Amino acid sequence: MKLNRFRKGVGYAVIIFSSLIMILPFLTTLFNSLKTYAQYTAFPPKWFPSPIQWSNYSEVWKLGAFEQYTINSVIVTVLSVCGALISCSMVAFAFARLRFPFKNTLFMIVLGTMMIPPVVLIIPQFVIFKSLYMLDTLTPLWIIEWLAQPFGIFLMRQAFLMIPKDYEESAKLDGCNPFQIYWKIFLPMCKPTFATLAVFTFMTKWNEILSPAIFLTSKENFTLPIGILSMAGQWSGNEQYMVAAALMSLIPILLVFLFAEKYFVQGTNSSGIK
Amino acid sequence: MEETEKVRTGVQPLTPRIRRRRLNSDSKWGLLMVTPYIIHFIVFVLGSLLASLYFSFSHYDILNAPQWAGLANYKKLFQEPVFWKAMWNTVYFTILFVPLQTVLALILATALNQRLRGLKFFRLAHFVPVISSWTVILYVSDAIFNPRFGMANSFLLKIGLEPQKWLQDERLVIPLLVMIAVWKGIGYIMVIFLAGLQNVPSDVYEAAEIDGAGVFRKFMHITVPLISGTTFLVLILSTISTFQAFEQIYVMTGGALDASSAGGPNKSSLVLMIYLYQEGFTFLRMGYASAIAWVLFVILFILTALQVTLQKKWVHYE
Repeated sequence: MKLNRFRKGVGYAVIIFSSLIMILPFLTTLFNSLKTYAQYTAFPPKWFPSPIQWSNYSEVWKLGAFEQYTINSVIVTVLSVCGALISCSMVAFAFARLRFPFKNTLFMIVLGTMMIPPVVLIIPQFVIFKSLYMLDTLTPLWIIEWLAQPFGIFLMRQAFLMIPKDYEESAKLDGCNPFQIYWKIFLPMCKPTFATLAVFTFMTKWNEILSPAIFLTSKENFTLPIGILSMAGQWSGNEQYMVAAALMSLIPILLVFLFAEKYFVQGTNSSGIK
Repeated sequence: MEETEKVRTGVQPLTPRIRRRRLNSDSKWGLLMVTPYIIHFIVFVLGSLLASLYFSFSHYDILNAPQWAGLANYKKLFQEPVFWKAMWNTVYFTILFVPLQTVLALILATALNQRLRGLKFFRLAHFVPVISSWTVILYVSDAIFNPRFGMANSFLLKIGLEPQKWLQDERLVIPLLVMIAVWKGIGYIMVIFLAGLQNVPSDVYEAAEIDGAGVFRKFMHITVPLISGTTFLVLILSTISTFQAFEQIYVMTGGALDASSAGGPNKSSLVLMIYLYQEGFTFLRMGYASAIAWVLFVILFILTALQVTLQKKWVHYE
């Protein structure tokens, strides 16, 4: 018993210490976002802002660009999430439930392509989107999600495999074709996996930097992560605004995480790692 | 007999012909429903792989059609000191990052793997960096490591040490980037370990306790061997992704403002991916950049193969 108490004590000590290391820098940043420029650049730094400059947050919106970046990020993220959910679930249903030629070969390919580092595919992708006149538009950032990425296929397939065969047998008797079985019966039964995939796609797309950095050139098309960075010149002498902008870009994903933490952890554990 | 079955279930019995027809209908729907992936595979995987391979043997500037150049790109690559510097930086980054993150995440997961109060809060605390974009992380680390007004320098002065230039210091930049990357990613790896730990049966620990094993010995002799499968996957996946590290270096060492300056002071944090990005998308040397991509690909392939072979030596499955 004594040993158990000791072990818990050590556990708490480790985890509280580590949580502090995780949170304190964010708290410092939050305070920085509420400082005046003079206070932000003061040395030695004062931890707590005084006066608290709430207006930093509203100033960010007045410059217009930030609003545009937010809209762009929302468009890319929403379209990506829809695309991933629809395409991955449909493909996964076929792999889990239907019989068709080359099915096993094709599924081995899905698993195999998960191993190909995205590095080798970036340049041809750029060329493809250039020849489709899609460079410097938001399209390349989301359209690829409509083509069933392997991780999502794998995740959804696992969920569909768990559903007992009786459901599709009886739907077949009622005259449903495979698409109807997928749409009306299997989809509603896999909501938790759907949520997992949605949360994962949301996070990846909201934070993505490599693809926007490659496909976008005009500032008005930037998404939040690179947009905020591109505002640096514009705001020199007002860098506290950039801190505020960065923290604001964190809010949507923080909310998603708070509401869907369970699904997030699920996705982490089923991303092929187990 | 057949008649009664038909009446009872309301369907025709499965004669071979009907079975075949159903199969055909299944095939049709199956192929139709996997179409998105087939397009994906043909265009964005197979086609792209072949194109990339072809580009790597050509001179290609996007504006004009690629011109066959044989091994020229690869020859130039291996004679280029910047390439070797980028290679060393990448290896250095990975060697520091992967073991450090794995060990720390495992320790954290072990601490969290008991009935503690406030587990949810602790997990959230460790996930805030995970869900932040690198842009957010840039401003968070700037609060600490800004050379002019950061907290770290203020602290160093207080204890009587010299202030540092942190990310602008050639010697410090990679260790510091590694530290920040571990800080950002550890929550994610921790959760993966936590799942592995929950699969370890508790009676093994109880038996060891009866034999008088302490916390440390239980960790070394039970936890570590029993979750070596998870550890192995974490090692493979983080090595592979670290070799392709781009975003953090692009954002943290100024690439986003001026792509040609990415890679820190005196190219001290120029990793392979940044080199590829600059050659391909800043200087439009797509053929050369493709050669870099294929060298990276081969290295990653060898790493994976190596780890899969080594796995047999040290991973214990139940």
